[in-house]
Amino acid sequence: MRRLLLPLLAALALPTGARAAGLDYAEELVSAARTSGLARDRQWLRLGHWRPRAVGGYESEADGPAFFLSPRGKTDPEAELVATLRGFFAPEPKDPARQHPQCQFPARLAFLARRLGIDPSRLPARRCEKLERFWARTQARGVTLVFSSYFLDNPASAFGHTFLRLDKGEEGGGGERAELLDQGVNYAATTDGGNAILYAVKGLTGLYKGEFTALPYFYKVREYADYESRDIWEYDLALEPDEVAMLVAHVWELGSTWFDYYYLSENCSYHVLGALEAASPRLDLLSRLGPVVLPAATVQALYQNPGLVKRVRFRPSVRAQFARRAAALDPAALDAVEAVAADPAAPLPEGLSPERRAAVLDAALDLFDVRHARALVEGKDGVGELRQRLLARRSAVPVQSAPLTVPPPPQGGPERGHGAARLGVGAGESSQDGSYVALSYRAALHDLLDPPAGFSPGSQLEFLVTDLRWETEHRRLRLEDFSLVDVVSTNPLDRFDRRVSWHMRAGASTVRDGGCRECLAGRFDLGGGPALVGAGGAVTAQLAADSELAAAPSLQGAFGSGVRLGVGPTATLRLLGGERLATQASAGLRFLPFARPDTIWELAAETRLHLGPASIALAWRKTPLDVEGQLSVLFFR
Amino acid sequence: MRKMMVALAVLAMAGSASAADGGGIKGSGSYGTAGCGLGSMAFGNQKGAIQILAATTNGLFGTQTFGITSGTSNCGESVVGLSGTKTFIEANRDALAKDMSRGSGETIAALSHLAGCADSKAVGAKLQQSFQAVFPEQSISDEAVSANVISTLKTDKSLSCGALG
Repeated sequence: MRRLLLPLLAALALPTGARAAGLDYAEELVSAARTSGLARDRQWLRLGHWRPRAVGGYESEADGPAFFLSPRGKTDPEAELVATLRGFFAPEPKDPARQHPQCQFPARLAFLARRLGIDPSRLPARRCEKLERFWARTQARGVTLVFSSYFLDNPASAFGHTFLRLDKGEEGGGGERAELLDQGVNYAATTDGGNAILYAVKGLTGLYKGEFTALPYFYKVREYADYESRDIWEYDLALEPDEVAMLVAHVWELGSTWFDYYYLSENCSYHVLGALEAASPRLDLLSRLGPVVLPAATVQALYQNPGLVKRVRFRPSVRAQFARRAAALDPAALDAVEAVAADPAAPLPEGLSPERRAAVLDAALDLFDVRHARALVEGKDGVGELRQRLLARRSAVPVQSAPLTVPPPPQGGPERGHGAARLGVGAGESSQDGSYVALSYRAALHDLLDPPAGFSPGSQLEFLVTDLRWETEHRRLRLEDFSLVDVVSTNPLDRFDRRVSWHMRAGASTVRDGGCRECLAGRFDLGGGPALVGAGGAVTAQLAADSELAAAPSLQGAFGSGVRLGVGPTATLRLLGGERLATQASAGLRFLPFARPDTIWELAAETRLHLGPASIALAWRKTPLDVEGQLSVLFFR
Repeated sequence: MRKMMVALAVLAMAGSASAADGGGIKGSGSYGTAGCGLGSMAFGNQKGAIQILAATTNGLFGTQTFGITSGTSNCGESVVGLSGTKTFIEANRDALAKDMSRGSGETIAALSHLAGCADSKAVGAKLQQSFQAVFPEQSISDEAVSANVISTLKTDKSLSCGALG
């Protein structure tokens, strides 16, 4: 009975005559919208996230049914526009969990009011308390797109991540903007705790729901910069005040729906740009993206709208903060940092001024947090107590630390990065197969010899790499090499950072030893070891204990099977000449227990010259049965 | 055979070591109580081992907590005044503790703003002096930390933190 009563009362609140007049006005607006073809307007289509279909017509990317007032709304922008207009005049919804259309769709209301000249006094007045609370919470005066850097330790974040920040424009006590208090708007998949393989399959095929959430920016800073130690880049956007308001209103609309989440295409970065476009019809963002959407490419799409990015800020991870503090200390002080980070009660060198004592303890605190970030959040026994003692010791030194300024890294932000896709065309000569024409394609993202600008030094992440050869003498096409995924994480070993470097690859390679007659074998490679980096990043030397598993029907593997396991060392030397030149040489030895041959080796060298949009690559390789050289041109897109 | 076993063991160890590095984290289950701290927001009441990967992609924090229209958490509010100040202190406890020990930093600037204090440098100095009083021991609850910070700021009238009531 109560359920029936509420909407009835709401309807009675308007005199019957006024209500009828309202409905007339609604129909008047509907016919005006139809006549002007407003449903084909660029911004209307963007507000509903309708995209043209290959078969004609439109379909919205939004998948939550509550996003549409018309039953045909998902595929019919005009039906949805009409239903929206009528909805604005509708009585309060029967279901208290549902919002009135005026409250649920403030951006649509603003758009239609502006374009149809709706007279607000002729709309039935509705209270939208939840929306008003959200509005008060965000207080947005500006918008920033935030990019958190590549994080190879988590496959979901390996390509980086982007989200929006609604800026309050308020000042902290010291005159700096209190950005931590801004509201972050994040789009992410809601996963369900399945295993990694299930996760990958579901992520790639759209079986997860992607949803927008709003949370204070400080949670994101704590998560990315502190907990995961990822650098953050912030791009302040030059939006007009009405565009900012439109964005907040549209984010509210998106809060009541979801999108099927596709890890490669309709991902976090895609929908963040989609929301921006809906708020600001003058922008062209999604059209700048390829079929595979990477966070870095969405940052680059911002830059293709001249003047849109008005300021860039670099927010250093706790690891970068520590590096900056350590760089200001002499060797004796660094010894003390190490000692205090391990034991908070360790003595400091005699005769240090309070300022120097503070500097040593400040660095030790950051080092402690770098080393124990996870244990701290997880509440592991003892770690918090150690940190507490270190903090107490620092607080006893009556020196207020000056603000730490960390300059952005020399390679710059993701906007400087090369295109993720790479096409290679070249020619080579093999002692086994004679001369050949080489063709290669990589879907994403970066290898260690690619132009370094905009990427984390020492991190490689490649996805779907194919090397084909047309052997001109044998008139034969060969799949020389294929990588499903190829990851290298180089962690320079120094006195404070003892993480080993590691690499992993899954794919297939042509066997160039006596194991089979140039067969293509499925391969899985895994290995790791220490790496040393010197001369400001120009020289990297690495030694790794490697393993490789290879399988092919014709392979003379262990015990006569087609599977063999190789283990052995690899030494690698990499030299970078600024952003123009990169060279790498490596030597590897593998023992193949119970297989034939029982030992294989490989020597390889490659050098690349980067000339802006293209690079020239010269490669040489020697294996037990083959020597080959290849010259090619690489194009990035 | 021996050689083979050794080789397989090496590979298996390499595999598991990389899996351990590969984003798996374990929740201790010690965040069962309500609060706005990072751990409780990330892991909620879940006990035992969970993985970030499995929790959500590109964010520790789930949609249930921070849904735009349906959010249930009052930790989403970082507004000037007493409740916003409390939330901020609890959520940023570890970072704030570090800035307090240093007497300066971004969380102190933000806290000064929320509490309506006149000068964040003076707030930094005061909180640095009061570190032991705010954090008498590590096991102190987030709520007690925020209560201690707020009473420290309120007691010192020279800071004139007007938004704390």
